[in-house]
Amino acid sequence: MSRTDNLKAFEIVLESFLERAVAAKEKRLQVAQGINRLEQIDSRMTSGVDPVDRLGEWFADHNRWLEQENLKHSDIDRIGRILDNIRNELDLENDESPASRKISSEIDRWQLASPQSTQSLVLKRGPEAAAEGDTVADFRKLIPNIGQLFEQYAVSKLHIMSVLDETLRTAELQKNKEALILSAFIIYYLKTGGYKVDPYVMRLKQAEKALEEDDSDA
Amino acid sequence: MLSHPEKAYLQALMAVRRKDYMSAARFFEQAAPGIKNNREFDLLRETNRLLLAVKRELDSPNVESSIDIEEKYSHG
Repeated sequence: MSRTDNLKAFEIVLESFLERAVAAKEKRLQVAQGINRLEQIDSRMTSGVDPVDRLGEWFADHNRWLEQENLKHSDIDRIGRILDNIRNELDLENDESPASRKISSEIDRWQLASPQSTQSLVLKRGPEAAAEGDTVADFRKLIPNIGQLFEQYAVSKLHIMSVLDETLRTAELQKNKEALILSAFIIYYLKTGGYKVDPYVMRLKQAEKALEEDDSDA
Repeated sequence: MLSHPEKAYLQALMAVRRKDYMSAARFFEQAAPGIKNNREFDLLRETNRLLLAVKRELDSPNVESSIDIEEKYSHG
């Protein structure tokens, strides 16, 4: 077998591998393309392009997604957010044209058919109340305490994860709220650095639960 | 919004699908700085790069002549 034959055989193997790899991702590829297309429609609205026709085409092409199971929750959330944005930009509530009504009903249909996209966690709190204390001052006091705690646990540690292990243990066993907050701080720091933090998040939740139980017992 | 690296990765896959490996390589390179620790991405990018190297080699005018020269020498 000549060198050329070998190279050609290798070329076929590589092409075949890439073809099969992309084919295996075909569904995800289509979803990503669809979301990308919807985002383009949304982004072009800011430059004054009327999106109604293109939106109509998008719905015609993608409404079948609602009956299929190709979409992840994150896709549905993403599409829901873009559609919400489009609805706001178009001011569909105040536009009575037939085309806009049609788009509005399509967005409603999408969001009704995908209830996950409309579910959201809303954190509410009462109005600021002086009687509850000065939260800014409380937080200001907390920061040096957390710094000192960190220094205490960081002595002779070679990696931040070793410090985290200690702070989590203290938070759970001693029901120490400052250690709990410091743990959460370190976990988020590690997460932004690309570390896998899932096991630490679980421990944080356990420590948080222990602290809550301790508070309710008190 | 799809991030720029995600869009570039998507375009790379679409280019691979239509067998436009040169464009795919360009999009893979654009996506690379924003896509870390993704073994699938790394594998596809490197395979595409290798495929282009093989194609370049096959297009090279010297690919067979070098073998011919060896043959001539080996038979005196």
